[in-house]
Amino acid sequence: MRYRTTLLASALLTLSLAPHSLAADLKIVANPSVRSDFISPAEVRGIFLAETDSLKDGSHVEPVFERSGPAHKIFLKDFLGVSSESLQNHYGALVFTGRSSMPRSFNSDAEVVAYVAKTRGAIGYVSASASTEGVKVLEVVAETSHSGRALLTQIQPEYPETLRQLGISGIVRLKVVISPQGNVETVSLLGGNPILGESAMKAVHEWTYAAGPTTTTLIVTVPFGTH
Amino acid sequence: MCQRAVRLSLFCLILAPLSLRAQNFKIDGREVQIHGFASQGFVHTDDNNWLTMQTSNFGSGEFTDFGVNASMQVTDKFRIGAQLYDRNLGGLGKWYPQLDWAYAQYKLKPWLGFRGGRVKTVLGLYTDTQDLDFLHPYALLPQSIYPIDLRDATLAHDGGDVFGDISLGAKYGKLSYTAYGGYHEQGAHGGYAYLLESDHLTFGSIGGVQYGADLRWQAPLKGLLIGASRENQNSTSSYTVNLPSGPIPIRASDNADWINQFYGEYSWKKLLIDAEFRRAWDDNGVKNVSEFQVNLHAWYVGGAYRIVKRVQLASYYSRYWIGFPLSDVEPAGTGHINDKVVTGRIDINRFFNLKIEGHFMAGVGLPGDYPDGFYLVNNPQGLNPNTNALVVKGGFNF
Repeated sequence: MRYRTTLLASALLTLSLAPHSLAADLKIVANPSVRSDFISPAEVRGIFLAETDSLKDGSHVEPVFERSGPAHKIFLKDFLGVSSESLQNHYGALVFTGRSSMPRSFNSDAEVVAYVAKTRGAIGYVSASASTEGVKVLEVVAETSHSGRALLTQIQPEYPETLRQLGISGIVRLKVVISPQGNVETVSLLGGNPILGESAMKAVHEWTYAAGPTTTTLIVTVPFGTH
Repeated sequence: MCQRAVRLSLFCLILAPLSLRAQNFKIDGREVQIHGFASQGFVHTDDNNWLTMQTSNFGSGEFTDFGVNASMQVTDKFRIGAQLYDRNLGGLGKWYPQLDWAYAQYKLKPWLGFRGGRVKTVLGLYTDTQDLDFLHPYALLPQSIYPIDLRDATLAHDGGDVFGDISLGAKYGKLSYTAYGGYHEQGAHGGYAYLLESDHLTFGSIGGVQYGADLRWQAPLKGLLIGASRENQNSTSSYTVNLPSGPIPIRASDNADWINQFYGEYSWKKLLIDAEFRRAWDDNGVKNVSEFQVNLHAWYVGGAYRIVKRVQLASYYSRYWIGFPLSDVEPAGTGHINDKVVTGRIDINRFFNLKIEGHFMAGVGLPGDYPDGFYLVNNPQGLNPNTNALVVKGGFNF
């Protein structure tokens, strides 16, 4: 069953590429063992403030800091929103009450990259010009509310009858490129059941968004069944 | 005492150079982190002796503490650690080391984790971090809510916590909860024991079951935290009354003590504002012999501003009053301490800090009846109603 609606995606979580102010001067780098290719600013904040130790895809991660320098300053200001002293106090309180370890910190981009490259789950930040050989650069994505591209027309994806009868449910993650006019240009499957993914891609291709100044890339999460 | 002081000095001298970096090593491929801290204070008062020290002449430097901890992340979700703590504050602490905390933590999900062992109690903003001088702008936290002589009254419990963070989405912020239960024990070198012994009683023990919860909300407004804590305690204390006819052992029970605490903190750029209110009720005494209730109201409002990278100015107003027994009305003339405080903090580098603090106090609480900073045994000449104090404190951590 398919139907056209102008409902905003209350059941769908969409993410968009971060405003370039967050991403332009920095790169978020991760050990190749980290499965995800994307990370949201909220995830960055949660990981680097020791509120969580895993990404949404379940990858375990370990934050790695720089001690000082321009990349460190930008990271604290744009991603964590805290001063160096506040960050030190935050970790002091955690470490001296036993709740967390003190994260590793290094003096330079090169040291961060070298450590991240060899350490499973390590995730750090370096300046945009740094060499990232041996590590994976994560694309920073932000919540759709920050993208400025409101969803105008949403087609509900078809839930394949066979999978429904078998009780197979799940979440599908799609990468969606939207034109400045608001049409969906391309959709590709990032994760999830391929049959559900095919159905979701078909539906999402027909979605329309508010017009914007440039092409926008979104990460769209589509739940099927009880999810 | 002298030998212990020498030992501590040596400890600090050895530790200070090592403090440039945390001392980490590996066991079975897993990293063990070692961290520590120490502080040394000096207190001078213009009048009454304060905090069990002889502060009113030249002043007193019997104000030292240090701690060292080791912890290991055993698996992605499981960690263990322990911290030793030692202090000497006038007649308190007396260099007897304590197991400050020692527990195992399993964090199943961000919203569900467990701790078991000796766990620091989460009560208000700073109960669990009150010894960590380097975290706070003040040399002495507001004594109305964090009395340094009653440090171990609410500090930790032998038992467990359930804790977690629940995201409410970008619009509504985040909730953090901790629920706990266990056994608490106050040491033989804290304020209660000091008060009893100054009345020529011999302290035995104070301890009992405690349970409670803390709920704090990180509001969507960046930097704003609001929370509430509740703690219930049952305590049994034992001590001996030394009479000329012979010692009489006494066993007293408190079965309905509680604390409610409400707090808020707001940080914006270089500014930090915090405020807390505590209401506590103690039910003391020996059943059918001598029963009394302690009714305590306390609050403070404070603020700190970092004027340059390494210098922070801070101030708070702390107010406390205590009454016997059931009245909600402040007793006239006695039972209160109002403390106006100004502090300057200099961060010499990442590891060392120095604080200079002035206290301008009105009132001396209920000396002789309740341990609240001023003790009759330290002030045999009697207590004056006002006290001004200078506190200088240096600390380091690694």
